[in-house]
Amino acid sequence: MDFLRKLKPSSREGSLAIILIFAVGGTGLINPRFLTGDGTRDLFTSTSVVALLAIGIAPIVIMRHIDLSISSTVGLTAWVVADMCAKHPNFTWVECFIIGPVIGIAVGILNGLLVAGLRLPSLVVTLGTLYIVRGVVYVVSNSVDYNAQEMPPSLLDLGQKVFFGLLPFTFLLVIIAMLIMGYFMRYTKAGRDAYAIGSNPPAADLVGIKVFRRTFLAFVFSGFMAGLAGVFYLMRFAQVDSTAFYGQELAVVAAVVIGGVTIAGGSGTVVGAVIGALLVQTIQGGLAALGVDAFWKSAVNGLLLIIAIYADRRLAARNEQKLLAQRIRERV
Amino acid sequence: MAKKGELLLEMNKVAKRFGGAIALKGTDLKIRSGEIHALLGENGAGKSTMLKILAGVHVNDGGTIKLGSKDFITGSPQQSIAQGIAVIYQEPSLFLDLSLAENVFIGRQPKKGAVIDWKFAQTEAARLFKELGVELDPKRQARGLSIADQQVVEIAKALSMNANIILMDEPTAALSASEVERLMTVMKSLKAANKAVIFVSHRLDEVFAISDYITVMRDGATVSENAVGDTNLQKVIKDMVGRELTELFPKTEHKIGEVVLEVNDLTNPAYFRNISFTVKKGEIVALAGLVGSGRSEVARAIFGIDKYESGTVKVKGEILPAGSPVIAMERKIALVPEDRRQQGLFMVAGVNRNISMESFAALTERGLINFKKEKSLTDTWKEKLSIKFANQSDPVDRLSGGNQQKTVLAKWLATDPDLLIVDEPTRGIDVATKAEVHRLVDKAAGEGKAVLMISSELPEVLGMADRIIVMREGKQVAELSRKEATQEKIIAAATTGKKSA
Repeated sequence: MDFLRKLKPSSREGSLAIILIFAVGGTGLINPRFLTGDGTRDLFTSTSVVALLAIGIAPIVIMRHIDLSISSTVGLTAWVVADMCAKHPNFTWVECFIIGPVIGIAVGILNGLLVAGLRLPSLVVTLGTLYIVRGVVYVVSNSVDYNAQEMPPSLLDLGQKVFFGLLPFTFLLVIIAMLIMGYFMRYTKAGRDAYAIGSNPPAADLVGIKVFRRTFLAFVFSGFMAGLAGVFYLMRFAQVDSTAFYGQELAVVAAVVIGGVTIAGGSGTVVGAVIGALLVQTIQGGLAALGVDAFWKSAVNGLLLIIAIYADRRLAARNEQKLLAQRIRERV
Repeated sequence: MAKKGELLLEMNKVAKRFGGAIALKGTDLKIRSGEIHALLGENGAGKSTMLKILAGVHVNDGGTIKLGSKDFITGSPQQSIAQGIAVIYQEPSLFLDLSLAENVFIGRQPKKGAVIDWKFAQTEAARLFKELGVELDPKRQARGLSIADQQVVEIAKALSMNANIILMDEPTAALSASEVERLMTVMKSLKAANKAVIFVSHRLDEVFAISDYITVMRDGATVSENAVGDTNLQKVIKDMVGRELTELFPKTEHKIGEVVLEVNDLTNPAYFRNISFTVKKGEIVALAGLVGSGRSEVARAIFGIDKYESGTVKVKGEILPAGSPVIAMERKIALVPEDRRQQGLFMVAGVNRNISMESFAALTERGLINFKKEKSLTDTWKEKLSIKFANQSDPVDRLSGGNQQKTVLAKWLATDPDLLIVDEPTRGIDVATKAEVHRLVDKAAGEGKAVLMISSELPEVLGMADRIIVMREGKQVAELSRKEATQEKIIAAATTGKKSA
């Protein structure tokens, strides 16, 4: 443990990264394949959809809101993109990467108008749109499923593309999105406003932050990312039916929270959210390597979530003590 | 920069109504540069509405507002900021998760190209803090700052946006005496820089100590505007309440009986050490001292909210076990906490629910609440304490601060306690209601209750208490009888720990 103390991660993301390295290492001890290029590639591939969605909702959670409709949006875009590709055999991956995000943005606009425009609670609004959008999928799909043969080969090839033997194309996009959003959230006015809104919503109004615009755009962005994630879904599974990604929204929320984004808003980063997603996936992999029954997956996820929130609480309490001590020192 | 004495703001017959309720019916206000202008009035007189109009939160629906020679553009907080008006609200509106530098520049972050220039923000914030004489670390998180320091950040924010007019809504309500002094120094330096400071306060001694002009409002209209030299305390109070207020501290002599509360060597090293005192039947004992000296913590320990390390608390000669408010209540102790919104009331629940909260046993029949009894209980206390509300089920959120405080008092008086502990009983309530609360506390003592009162307002301590215990940094430093106590002695004990100055 002394070694851990020496590492002294200065940020929450640092601590998480160390935990992730330990989790990966531990899993590797049990199943050496996990540490090979193939193993890393599998980890990245299986994380990319959730990680992309985590980047999408992190700003929303930071603003003390939530978007539960993302899983339904993934289902809708995956099905519609597959459907259009089946009807237009000349479509390539380019069309898919346009159609998916456009559908996602449409759902995001709806959420944004309801939450930011009418000032309705996002938990309820997006729970509503979760059901509405999934309902739309059921209706339009009419129980039609699509498989690899109906999808553009260029899209599936892209899904198989791997850089340096371990970095899948989809995860490369995740990393790019993470870096852009990480920078955006830290260094731009819009990004900092998001933290302010989540930290103290009424005060954000009073200091003249454009709360409507920021909130609205955050939901549009989340929709955009969910649309993109729908295309990722097709690239990974090469098949889709009306229940695609059903019920996975809370797994994304869990990843974000495990990654240190406070559900009460005001703190956390997109980098943390991505590490959270990787951590959840690694631990699942570790359990599988240990031969733990897959039925335990859900229970372990839940446990992880509670541990994360407990650790977060402890950290926050310690931070508060530290700040209080600093204040007393400053006074003397 | 404006010249000294130049007219910065002129409000003429400004009116505002919310639905059927008239908040302002004709407010006039003249503010010149380089002046400190106090805005007084009872709760509900329209002060907050007026500040919010200037802040751009509300739009006036009558009258004119001029900033110098230009018309004031209403509509949004951004526009008010752009016109040089900064507002510091009663509850500081900082972002606790963000750094101080970020708080100073929130909404107007300095940019280098497309991104924020953090370095500039930090050095500039440090410079402003230094200018204000309070050197806070701009990189530190706002969480954990005292209210006084949070205000300093707010003032730095106002300076950074080059505000000419700085509005402060009850800035001293939650400050200790030394912090008030520091704030006053800051206000004077703003004045010296030819800014105009408008502040709302219920502490009239401070108002007379610092302001140049005093404007009094009543029922949504301006009643008087005077230079501070042309008026006096009596006149101001008369203007505020619309009648002569007979007495602010209606203390009466009562028979003092046997000991009700006996605290012996009570110690919780983090907050207080070796506290020993008694409170007798019919007696009002005040715990005086600076905010943060451990007074509230002593009260919380007695009532069982916090544990203590050593020492004993006896009620009527019997040991009261530590750490249980339930047992404390069974032993007939009541605690009216310092923060009524956070600790004293269920803000969205009805007045009736709040008043009956601790009297369930008396209201229940076979385990179920009898709402008729609740109604009559509420009526009884409404009348006894003259609490003003329309319907019993109105959420207390909608009542004025004074009526909220009376509701908390009613809740606890309804339990008929032997020991009543009141922590800052008149914080943030207007002068007429203050007098009423004082009368109620005095009456409780007259009925034979023992009263332990914590107060940061010295006139209140001197006016109400039979005995005064002064605390400083967790220690009991002085005990003064009503006769020997003076403002100077209490301040000397509270700030230096010595018994006399």
